[in-house]
Amino acid sequence: MTTPTDRDLILRARRGDAEGREAFGELVTRYQTSVFNVCYRMLHERGEAEDLAQEVFIRAYDRLHTFDIEREFGPWIRRVAANLCLNHLEGQKVTTELDDERDADPTQRPESVVELKERGEQIRAALASLPAHYRVVVELRHYQEMSYEEIAEEIKIPLSDVKSHLFRARKILAEKLHAPD
Amino acid sequence: MHLTEEQLNEYLDNETAERAQIELHLSSCDKCAARLSTLQNLFTELDSLPELELTKSLAAPFTLRPSLPAQLPKFLTLTASLQAAVALAAIIIAAPFVIPLIPAIETSSLTTLLFEAQSQWTAWLDMLSQFQMPAMPEIPILEMSSLLMALAGVSVLWVLGNGLLLRNQMK
Repeated sequence: MTTPTDRDLILRARRGDAEGREAFGELVTRYQTSVFNVCYRMLHERGEAEDLAQEVFIRAYDRLHTFDIEREFGPWIRRVAANLCLNHLEGQKVTTELDDERDADPTQRPESVVELKERGEQIRAALASLPAHYRVVVELRHYQEMSYEEIAEEIKIPLSDVKSHLFRARKILAEKLHAPD
Repeated sequence: MHLTEEQLNEYLDNETAERAQIELHLSSCDKCAARLSTLQNLFTELDSLPELELTKSLAAPFTLRPSLPAQLPKFLTLTASLQAAVALAAIIIAAPFVIPLIPAIETSSLTTLLFEAQSQWTAWLDMLSQFQMPAMPEIPILEMSSLLMALAGVSVLWVLGNGLLLRNQMK
């Protein structure tokens, strides 16, 4: 028996019956790790990232009829995830500002130096310190390999803003990651 | 004149139309080449970020089917039949050994218990026979016969009504 393609699963899922739900479950199994990683890079909090990744799939299932079957499901669901995380972060703006203040004072940070010794965790922490709009641009450019124009279209900001957000974000990241200890 | 940050970023993102000029400048400017190298390192670090695994499956809400009537697997049904047959055989084999022991069981206590229970039951029936309903106030307008007639009429109507309602389902 051949493995069904994403397209087959989407067509079955669109029927909305029990078998359709199961077909969508198969799609979730295929893409849950990459969607979770989008959320985790954006939010830097595992529980929150898992909850939001679940929300991404629930929303995608409800709006599956709007998905263009000719497009690839993976990139689409990851873009949905990035957008949902951006909305989530913007909704938490006050908290983020508090986090930024907290980041400014290393003695107030809950993560110990030991926890951050891994380079991957340092990169994640640096990403998490960026403002939400910078974070999403880095996510879409570096991890979803979208062009400047695609990013501008996706998050509905001018092309010039995409560039300025991305370049400033990289500057901040370089300062945080390449700063002498 | 050095390259701008924008030029370096666009060069690494493959989003510039000035690649040839930028490369020409980089070949002759160590400072800009070093800046590009630093930026390239950042790209490499970002790209090297490992993917993490989930601690739970997100597919569960979509794979849970509505509960169906539980059906035992075939092998379990066969096992159950086999167990029943073995139990029956065990009873048949054990019967000749157990039956001679039955008269030896002390039954007097059981008889006493049954007798006591019967006495209590009789006493309770006696008490019940002496019970008298409190006198009901008489309703001058309604007599018992007219009440019974009304009750019978309502019952007939109820049966007819239900019959009409269920007529289609009976077909």
